[in-house]
Amino acid sequence: MAFAPVLHAEWIKIRTLRSMLWALGAIVFATAAFSALAALDGGGDFDPLFAAFFGVSFGQVAAVAFGATAVSSEFQAGALRVSLSAVPQRGRWFAAKAVAVGVPALAVGLVTGVVSLAVGTAVLGEKANGLTWTEGLRGTVGCGVYLALMALLAAGLTALLRSGVATLGILIPFLLLVSFVVGDKSGTVADFLPDKAGQVVLHETPEGTLGPWSGLAVTACWTVAALLAGAWSIRRRDA
Amino acid sequence: MTSIDTQDLTKEYGSNRAVDHLTFRVLPGRVTGFLGPNGAGKSTTLRLVLGLDRPTSGTATVGGRAYATLDEPLRHVGALLDAQAPHGSRTARDHLRALAAGNRIGAGRVDEVLEEAGLASVARRRVKTYSLGMRQRLGIAAALLGDPPVVLLDEPSNGLDPEGIIWIRELLRRLAREGRTVLVSSHLMNETASFADHLIVLGRGRLLADTPMRDFIHARVEPRVRVRTTDGPALRGLLTRHGYEASEDDEGRWTVHHARVEDIGRLASDAGLPLLELSAEEGTLEQAYLDLTAAEAEFTSTPAQPQEA
Repeated sequence: MAFAPVLHAEWIKIRTLRSMLWALGAIVFATAAFSALAALDGGGDFDPLFAAFFGVSFGQVAAVAFGATAVSSEFQAGALRVSLSAVPQRGRWFAAKAVAVGVPALAVGLVTGVVSLAVGTAVLGEKANGLTWTEGLRGTVGCGVYLALMALLAAGLTALLRSGVATLGILIPFLLLVSFVVGDKSGTVADFLPDKAGQVVLHETPEGTLGPWSGLAVTACWTVAALLAGAWSIRRRDA
Repeated sequence: MTSIDTQDLTKEYGSNRAVDHLTFRVLPGRVTGFLGPNGAGKSTTLRLVLGLDRPTSGTATVGGRAYATLDEPLRHVGALLDAQAPHGSRTARDHLRALAAGNRIGAGRVDEVLEEAGLASVARRRVKTYSLGMRQRLGIAAALLGDPPVVLLDEPSNGLDPEGIIWIRELLRRLAREGRTVLVSSHLMNETASFADHLIVLGRGRLLADTPMRDFIHARVEPRVRVRTTDGPALRGLLTRHGYEASEDDEGRWTVHHARVEDIGRLASDAGLPLLELSAEEGTLEQAYLDLTAAEAEFTSTPAQPQEA
């Protein structure tokens, strides 16, 4: 079987569920809204680029929900059996699912980056004057890639755990609590957590061991690992 | 040749053997009823045929090939496993469009099968607004999507209204007439009797019977004749003389056991006995099935394994 028809099928499944579209919209909205709030509050030793992208911490929850729901809908009431009867090549099927999750997440993530930067710098006003054009571009692209990677991380984890609830139960507390708690300690293994590493790209001056792109590469490694584990689970287990 | 074949097919879940060395062939051009109590392994067998579960040992093929090796499989095999599978928040049409797209089946065909399943007017409604009967129709529409030569349906009459039951019966018979291979699992005997030509019966994962339905009934249900006459005592005497066992009910109707109308009619005629009624009492599939499972229970009455649905 060719890949394109399978991808087409998976894309139809994503765009015909209202909850998927809501989750995508929520990525933009949550990120921009919290970036604006953070920019209002900006004071002390603050990083103007990260202030403009601060909302990503919240937008990523929507991205995770998007990735998890796209896969978890297959684990409800035998939906996976219908999918795999239509496409019995499981590896190809899961690859199509990942592309159907990753591409819209990346596109929406880039839009999120543009909107968040625009809103953030507008609210920051003079305090954003130090930002260069290349830093803004780097943050915007990084924001898109980061959000897509988080959506795919959730998709892979959901395929492994066969449950969206379990995935969200692990990822959301992790993103909202663990990272905030250990997040301030730079230069430790915490730098290599998927969210901490990937968010380096959103800072004007990177702290810690990783640079903007090496940080995203670390997040990508986590995502690839989750996707491979998910693919292994889909291929190995009875549907 | 698009038969379904299983060869020594076995599936174990832990220590529970759901399917036990099953070998059978389902042939095209007829409706094969797939019978057995809950937990007999019918659904597991269907999943194994569709490559969804991995057999512990043995093989299952469709048209000589393992399902997972089929290119665009919906064009070869259509299946309904679980009517609850379509996502409740998607419309019926979108559900079918996604399935069709993956197998390069045109959107026109989606509207065709929706029409055929009687769902055209509700095709753009979300599936969660559907009754169980409508979901069954949607599942059957999905099975027909690729115009496949092989159709597998797991309990398709579940939740259908009387009109729906007649529809599915006629649909199954038509599919068989068109030369397709049709395998329909059910635990409803009267329903199965109304459409099946051939039967495969499972019990505890093992093959109990693989035979034409008529033969199955005739081999298991004693033939009986019902007689009404103006002269009861004469009839009794006549039957006793010829070694028949007979009983009379309150309304004067006689039931002759192990007898055929040809024999009883001739006896009465030769004896000059006036008959008011003479009819064969057809055995039902239900009687034959219960007889088979009762016989089976005798042989397997010792350690009863816990069965999974």
